[in-house]
Amino acid sequence: MRAKQLCVLVAMSAALWAPRVSAHHSFAAEYDANKPVTLKGTVSKVEWTNPHARFYVDVKDDKGAVTTWNFELASPNVLRRNGWTRTSLNIGDEVTVEGARAKDGSTMANARVVKLADGRRVFAGSSGGDAPPPAN
Amino acid sequence: MKPTSLLTLPLVLAVGALVVVSAQQTPPAPTSPAGAGSGQRGPAAPTGPVKRLPNGKVDLSGVWQGGGPVGDIKMGLAKGEALPIKPEWQKIMDARQSKDDPEANCLPTGVPRRDPYPWRILQTDTHTFLLFEGNIHSYRQIFMDGRKHPADFDPSWYGHSVGHWEGDTLVVDTVGFNDKFWFDFIGTPHTEQLHTVERYTRTNLGTLVIETTIDDPGAYTRPFKITFTARLRPGEELMEYICNENNGFVHHITGPAKEF
Repeated sequence: MRAKQLCVLVAMSAALWAPRVSAHHSFAAEYDANKPVTLKGTVSKVEWTNPHARFYVDVKDDKGAVTTWNFELASPNVLRRNGWTRTSLNIGDEVTVEGARAKDGSTMANARVVKLADGRRVFAGSSGGDAPPPAN
Repeated sequence: MKPTSLLTLPLVLAVGALVVVSAQQTPPAPTSPAGAGSGQRGPAAPTGPVKRLPNGKVDLSGVWQGGGPVGDIKMGLAKGEALPIKPEWQKIMDARQSKDDPEANCLPTGVPRRDPYPWRILQTDTHTFLLFEGNIHSYRQIFMDGRKHPADFDPSWYGHSVGHWEGDTLVVDTVGFNDKFWFDFIGTPHTEQLHTVERYTRTNLGTLVIETTIDDPGAYTRPFKITFTARLRPGEELMEYICNENNGFVHHITGPAKEF
């Protein structure tokens, strides 16, 4: 594929990917859609709170060192309207999370897709309230 | 620009515009999962005729989505029109940082800004209320009893609103705003001289067109009009949303508001 066409595709993907209207703040001011992250680890905390639901994942590196990542979701109301509940994700769940990293480089990200170890999707959708229905 | 770019640029812009417009002005696609209740992805807005109250006025009630600027107020201007902002206020706007957006800090949107949360119109004989689920979980009260604006008031986030009917359009006149809220994510400003006239017209059962005249001689060289459309969310109910519950991450928001 020619480089120019690739650039266009990347630009289109970014436009489709990034929820331009976040919950109560600009998505692009906090997260970088061009810094995707995919992280695997264990859920250590779930906060079913406003303005955003959040969950924390302990991620081990190759040497066994653990880093805790903070993932932002939509508001609980938006998630509930899309079929998710405060028990959709629980402490101890093994998850793989795809998201966009915080612009300030902290270990924080906006979660786009959350998959359990058995392949089920739990949350899929970030602050834009664009979560598709559960895949069950 | 090379021909290939010329061909592809409109497509990219169109996709981007579609994302923005769909997020701001239309309800999401109807894909509600079982048990989710109606809502964020509920049924499409109906298009039947509007209903009337016993007093003959148009029934505006229902749960609505959108109807005002979210990201950029210029999206509501007529095609080709520029925002008549004064140069000194353009400088103030350009210096604003996203982390300081009052809405991101769980403060009200003011007028005419909207957010991605549903809201309800409630009409009584003496008042019309706009009840907001989100940002913040608050309300506007519009006096419908013929009173005038008070001679003196403390500037406030939603101002002092009086309403009357012109045919089937509810006209809401508001003054007495503070200068603390922004019109959108990109920090479009105003002063305490702001005076808004909103015209609410329910063009069919599921569509509410809101045309707002913004008159603020403090920050703008002339009055200007914006138009946004709210969509009905049939079967929806407002839910509790207390923004301040856990808003401890605003410090991660970086960069100028104009680059939202």
